[in-house]
Amino acid sequence: MVAQYGKEPIQHQFNPYSDNGGTLLGIAGEDFAILASDTRQSVDYSINTRLSHKIKVITPDLSSEDKKNKLVGTNKSILFGTNGFSADGDALTEDFEENYKFYTSNQNKKIEPGFEFLNNGNEDKESSMTMQSAARNVQHILYGKRFFPYYVHTILAGLDEEGKGCVYSFDPVGSYEREQCRVGGAGASLIMPFLDNQVNFKNQYIPGTNSTERKKLEYLTLEECLKLVKDAFTSVTERHITVGDGLEIFIINKEGVRLEYHALKKD
Amino acid sequence: MSQQDPSTINGGIVVAMTGKDCVAIACDLRLGSQSLGVANNFEKIHQYGKTFIGFTGLATDTLTLSAELKYQHNLYKLKENRGIQPEIFANLISHKLYEKRFGPYFSTPVVAGISDESGEPYVAGFDCIGCIDAAKDFIVSGTASDQLFGMCEALYEPNLEADDLFETISQALLNAADRDAISGWGAAVYMITKDKVTKTYLKSRQD
Amino acid sequence: MNHDPYSWGRPTDSMYGQYNSQIANAPTSLEGNMASGANQHTTSPIVTGTSVVAIKYNNGVVMAADNLASYGSLLRFQGIERLHKVGKTTMVGISGDVSDMQYLLEILDELTIEHNYDNDEYSDNVDELQPDYIFTYLANLMYHRRTKMNPLWNALIVSGVNSKTGEPFLQYVNLLGVKYSSPSIATGFGAHLAIPLLRKLADSEEEAQKLTKEQAIQGIKDSMRVLFYRDTRSSKNYSLAVIDKDSGITYDNDVNVEDMSWKFAKDIRGYGTQKV
Repeated sequence: MVAQYGKEPIQHQFNPYSDNGGTLLGIAGEDFAILASDTRQSVDYSINTRLSHKIKVITPDLSSEDKKNKLVGTNKSILFGTNGFSADGDALTEDFEENYKFYTSNQNKKIEPGFEFLNNGNEDKESSMTMQSAARNVQHILYGKRFFPYYVHTILAGLDEEGKGCVYSFDPVGSYEREQCRVGGAGASLIMPFLDNQVNFKNQYIPGTNSTERKKLEYLTLEECLKLVKDAFTSVTERHITVGDGLEIFIINKEGVRLEYHALKKD
Repeated sequence: MSQQDPSTINGGIVVAMTGKDCVAIACDLRLGSQSLGVANNFEKIHQYGKTFIGFTGLATDTLTLSAELKYQHNLYKLKENRGIQPEIFANLISHKLYEKRFGPYFSTPVVAGISDESGEPYVAGFDCIGCIDAAKDFIVSGTASDQLFGMCEALYEPNLEADDLFETISQALLNAADRDAISGWGAAVYMITKDKVTKTYLKSRQD
Repeated sequence: MNHDPYSWGRPTDSMYGQYNSQIANAPTSLEGNMASGANQHTTSPIVTGTSVVAIKYNNGVVMAADNLASYGSLLRFQGIERLHKVGKTTMVGISGDVSDMQYLLEILDELTIEHNYDNDEYSDNVDELQPDYIFTYLANLMYHRRTKMNPLWNALIVSGVNSKTGEPFLQYVNLLGVKYSSPSIATGFGAHLAIPLLRKLADSEEEAQKLTKEQAIQGIKDSMRVLFYRDTRSSKNYSLAVIDKDSGITYDNDVNVEDMSWKFAKDIRGYGTQKV
């Protein structure tokens, strides 16, 4: 009798995932959006690097004027952030970038009559991708790997077709939603209630009304949002070991995309 | 049914903060059995003389532990003929928890009070086997402790007056509870000063 | 006669006894393997190389790895070099499974040859193989293999200088496809023991740009000494590579750990707690 290989239970299995820590945060304002993340990449208790980039600015070509103004993207840019297993995050970003390039490429501009749909239906339209389309595409990429998922929390930020700030957030298998703000990654449970309170005014009532009248929702200014982002990250750096080293804040408005860097504690 | 973590069956949170000549301690009011809400009047904070203790974790253990501490507190008063100081009480709790080092109470208490001797506000927290965390700012505990850490770290500032401390601890508790499915269902806040204690119930989301 | 073609020309059980499947967890028989359709993937490394350490300095990168290939705790091969030159200005340092390393080297050789065919003196424009090309290739290969659930069990450090820009290059990728760059990088035990020493020299790109070649070499030598003290799978004999913008690659495959002090060991008895 020949023993059959594969009948005995497998002793050890390769684990294709790891947790690289970090936190990602997006806030949408009236005419701007912010996407921010810490720059630490870690595994277990080791810090791999103090300067990794979890956010990619996916942008049409910059003009020389833009470059002179130290902008890192145009107002049509998509701020693309991933957090979780960094190898999957990088792969997802590249997948999306490829789709973006095909979608916006000018090669489709000269089109036979009747085939305008190949050019997003509009020959004169500037080559770019709306946030709505980008988000739907990301869902398809993520869901395409439903049974071997990209182990990441994804957040997109940009301006919608009316020029209003928008944030889209995704779970690892592609469920998504447009939101006013969202935190992903290791510090999500610490920061999210803070944003509920400070951005959406949850549990805030008008004084003297005996908690019968909620504080009215209103857009925060860019300055107020930046203060919240910095407060959120310094707070979570205190209490979470995988968050720290540096903070990258990308701000998109009608001028384009700007990058701010702030140091965080390195301990 | 599969075996789960005993400290997250019933749900619930407690938070304590120090201010200028005052301390505050607050809890939610939910008692649940996993996702099922069972009671909305389950107060987690107990008074022992001038010291207040909040218990989170497995409800049955918090009841046993709070009764045991009441007994110990009574003995202390009989022996010493005076009330117990919060620091002393914290050490007593630590001993009681460590007694059960290898079969612990699944409870993580929080102590809050003002020391009679120094007049200083005092807060302390524990893990379930009695390690004391005598922080000078705030202590959090329970199933939404991550959320509470985030709220407190962002909202807290030292030396707040009683009114401001009340607002701070209330907002910290409420917003943290709203991001936890098994905490909430009402809340209670104790504001403790040298010669007065006020207890306030907060209006909160009922989902 | 056994009519199964898969059995022809193979040692028979009747002559040699049953194959001992305990050896390296091999399948119990070829038929068994074929019948279950099981494909053998690496689930743990066999012969291994320990840490690779590297640091950037103002004009390039210094990298080192010892020359030992271990089989568990056995010092199996004592002359295995784990730093490899690829192209003109790149060195690849490899830790982890040695057979997977040698497979990678085959691929890199092939890559270099293909590249040379397309970029010889008759080509229209000659493009030199740059460190970032090699790294991108390897990183994609590593991620692809992990996604197939059949990883190459290694951690790689690619270091070099871009021959066009003169920019020092240092990046890491492992069996999961996780990649990063940093002023100093080390694999395995080096990440715990060497990195603290190297970050003391340069904790940021700005600090690395102020570091001299001599300081960088000294830092790497100190790291290799500490690793030899505390990593039981390390050896005294190691290779050291310096990739410099101006002088190119300097490679020494026979360096030995120096300035050791074992004074502390003199009075240790037993586990170190006994007083004699």
